[in-house]
Amino acid sequence: MKFKNDIKKSIFHFEEGYSLGQAINEADRCLLCYDAPCNKGCPAETDPGKFIKKLRLRNLKGAIRTIKENNILGGTCGIVCPTDKLCEEKCLATGIDRPINIGKLQRFLIEYGWQIGFNPITKKEDKNIKVAVVGSGPAGLTCAAELAKEGYNVTIFEGNEKPGGNLRYGIPPFKLTHDFLDREIEDILSLGVKIQCNSSITGKDSIENLLNKGFKAAFVSIGLTNPYRVNIPGVNLKNVITSSDFLRDVNNRNIKKVSDIIKKKNIAIIGGGSVAMDTVITCKILKGNRVYSIALESQEELPADRADIHKAIDYNVIIKPQSKIKEIIGKNGVVIGVRGIETEWIKPQDFSPSNIREIPGTEFSLKIDTVIFAIGSGPDPKIKDELPSVKFNKKGFIDISKKTYLTSVKGIFAGGDIVNGPNLVVNAVEDGKKAAKSIMKFLKEQIK
Amino acid sequence: MKDLSITICGVKFPNPFMLSSSVVSNTAEMIARGFEGGFGGVSYKGIGGPHIEIINPAPRMHSYNYGSKKMVGIQNVEQTTDRPLKDNINDIKWLKKNYPKNVVMVNIMGFNKDEWRDLAIISEDAGADILELNFSCPHMSVEGSGMKVGQAFELVREFTEIDRNAVKIPIFAKLTSNVTDITEPAMYAKEGGANGITAINTVRGLIGVGIDDFVPYPNVFGKGAISGYSGPGIKPISLKCIVELAKKKELSLPLIGCGGIETWIDAVEFLLSGASLVQMTTSIIRYGHRIAEDLCEGLSYYMEDKGFKKVKDIVGKALPNIHETSEFDLSRQGAIQFDLDRCIGCGECYIACQDAGAQCIDWDSKKRRPIPDETKCYSCMICSFVCPIDNPPLITFKEIKGKKIYMPPSKM
Repeated sequence: MKFKNDIKKSIFHFEEGYSLGQAINEADRCLLCYDAPCNKGCPAETDPGKFIKKLRLRNLKGAIRTIKENNILGGTCGIVCPTDKLCEEKCLATGIDRPINIGKLQRFLIEYGWQIGFNPITKKEDKNIKVAVVGSGPAGLTCAAELAKEGYNVTIFEGNEKPGGNLRYGIPPFKLTHDFLDREIEDILSLGVKIQCNSSITGKDSIENLLNKGFKAAFVSIGLTNPYRVNIPGVNLKNVITSSDFLRDVNNRNIKKVSDIIKKKNIAIIGGGSVAMDTVITCKILKGNRVYSIALESQEELPADRADIHKAIDYNVIIKPQSKIKEIIGKNGVVIGVRGIETEWIKPQDFSPSNIREIPGTEFSLKIDTVIFAIGSGPDPKIKDELPSVKFNKKGFIDISKKTYLTSVKGIFAGGDIVNGPNLVVNAVEDGKKAAKSIMKFLKEQIK
Repeated sequence: MKDLSITICGVKFPNPFMLSSSVVSNTAEMIARGFEGGFGGVSYKGIGGPHIEIINPAPRMHSYNYGSKKMVGIQNVEQTTDRPLKDNINDIKWLKKNYPKNVVMVNIMGFNKDEWRDLAIISEDAGADILELNFSCPHMSVEGSGMKVGQAFELVREFTEIDRNAVKIPIFAKLTSNVTDITEPAMYAKEGGANGITAINTVRGLIGVGIDDFVPYPNVFGKGAISGYSGPGIKPISLKCIVELAKKKELSLPLIGCGGIETWIDAVEFLLSGASLVQMTTSIIRYGHRIAEDLCEGLSYYMEDKGFKKVKDIVGKALPNIHETSEFDLSRQGAIQFDLDRCIGCGECYIACQDAGAQCIDWDSKKRRPIPDETKCYSCMICSFVCPIDNPPLITFKEIKGKKIYMPPSKM
């Protein structure tokens, strides 16, 4: 059975959100819990218990205000969050039948606000203090908005042509359209935040130098731009790519280039997270033939949102859990297949690749034309030149004080994936919020 | 299927379920489908005299919603039939010819004495089994009609008397709840010769006001009016009226219950409270004639389960249990009981008890479970109303022998 909106014909077909009536129906199922557990499931403290109660009592503007005040990217989070592992995991309505669709309610309220022209976010008097933000992904956008609300003069430096970071280039458009993202960024621009695109802060000392150019503090949220590949034989063959490059091409509408390696091809996607699911579904919409998601985790351990996994299954994606690719086979420099084996964990609850054991006799080989790695990204190796005085940890991420988000250099703060490694959008929002608070505290002390 | 028939004033109904005089009984075609669907009888939509042209307002109705639940009630400004009298009479004749086993009651509303008499005679001649005199429409725009008659008790008697003298068929007076005591006009109707009472018509109400244009619903081109409110929302009022009428010893007339009946359970409640028949409109607006199947089946199984042989045996069974509050035994007290094994930890009971109850429920924030203290509980039961776990309910009432009522101490 096919449900409305379920099977998309185009990667640009953006699923519709709730209507007012559907949202009211869904909110009516909410138990309006005391000390609502859903709130504790949201790293950004978006406060679903409160905004759903407000929606239930038809205080729609108040509900929108609750979301936007707590999470300036509330609409986007409503769409991209793996809610089944966050707020909805804690939802007690599950004890009756199923959790409240909090993500969709959140998205609805933000879209409703746009529809009625209601912007609840206000800005305090200009403090005339300049702060730089490097990188316009979710952490940078949130930090900038929080600072701007308090009257700070914020400029975001973005290397790409358009703002949004992974929100724009790392998520397929059927999941989050550029129009939606642009509209949410507009809310941030309305606070007076300036975004300078096409302006990579590159070169030696470049980020640290911002402090000499009139900026009283800088927040580094440049994300991870160096997609990982597993070092196995054949990894450098033609048609072995990364989800990061693939989704960037899709978002830049290089459809011809992408189709050449996807249409009617057999594709192996290595990974089982949200990005892997986005990638397999995109491949299927682009008429990929046999599309595999091959992951070390078991089906129930897959880190992707459950809804995304089910969607992938609806698209006839073949999920191969607890499996490992050992070799990519090539002919004349081009991929023609993969060889792998089934695996199991040695110790439970340790999902690192070093913790797997191969199961003899489960070897398999697949006829594959394209291999896409969707196993996350690491920091750009050049970053250390741009931040020569900043300390990095063993994994290559920026070292910060967990409490203050301050790096080893006074005035330079950092947050998001460049600090944590690959993580959720909502965690980046959390970092942006907390870092902004700390930056403001720092600036107040400086001015004293 | 059990025999669901019931005989009232010598007229045999195949079952106690009727379409009430309203939009659902506007034409023979509609009513025929209702009969086919399983309704036992109809109160044919109110017919008036030929010389007053009825033009219905537009729009005629508006739905009253609660949360995501649509149509908790309906407000309407519908008048009596706007079809020509001749057509209605022909339809009544056709129904009697084609559905001889179903009961056709004709609802009439005159605007003067002659009209009341003429309409009664015309209806009887057309084959009506029973007359229903409309003393209760809450929004007739013509003076001296509808509810305004029902509120002027002398007129109730006078018009009933005129019709009693004009026809032989049984006469029911349909009354309004928009009076202090519904048994008063009922007694006047009895004095005028009525053989039974239908209660109630829609309740005068106003379901809402447009907050942008300040016009109440339904918005008739910028104007609203207090008018007839019907549906599940009025059931407690209509059930109360049936009880009052049934308990009035001097009245002792057969009753037809009407107002908010939707399921067989609602119908059984009306029967238990003293009604012999029930009429419906809003539930048919909501679900269509197909509800008749469920009403009949539900009632039949209920009778089987409870060992009732005849519908008549159900009528009035609850009446001995309905008292004045002064007759309650206050020496017996109790408290809430929790089946905590089934609790999902939402804490709704805690909020209700703290903010509107006896503050007898405490909260274990670690385990997310309520901690009830039955010594402080004063049995308001509101915790059970907000608890989402039902069927069977998680929170119930239990008598506690010798329980003293806890008084919260003063702050000063």
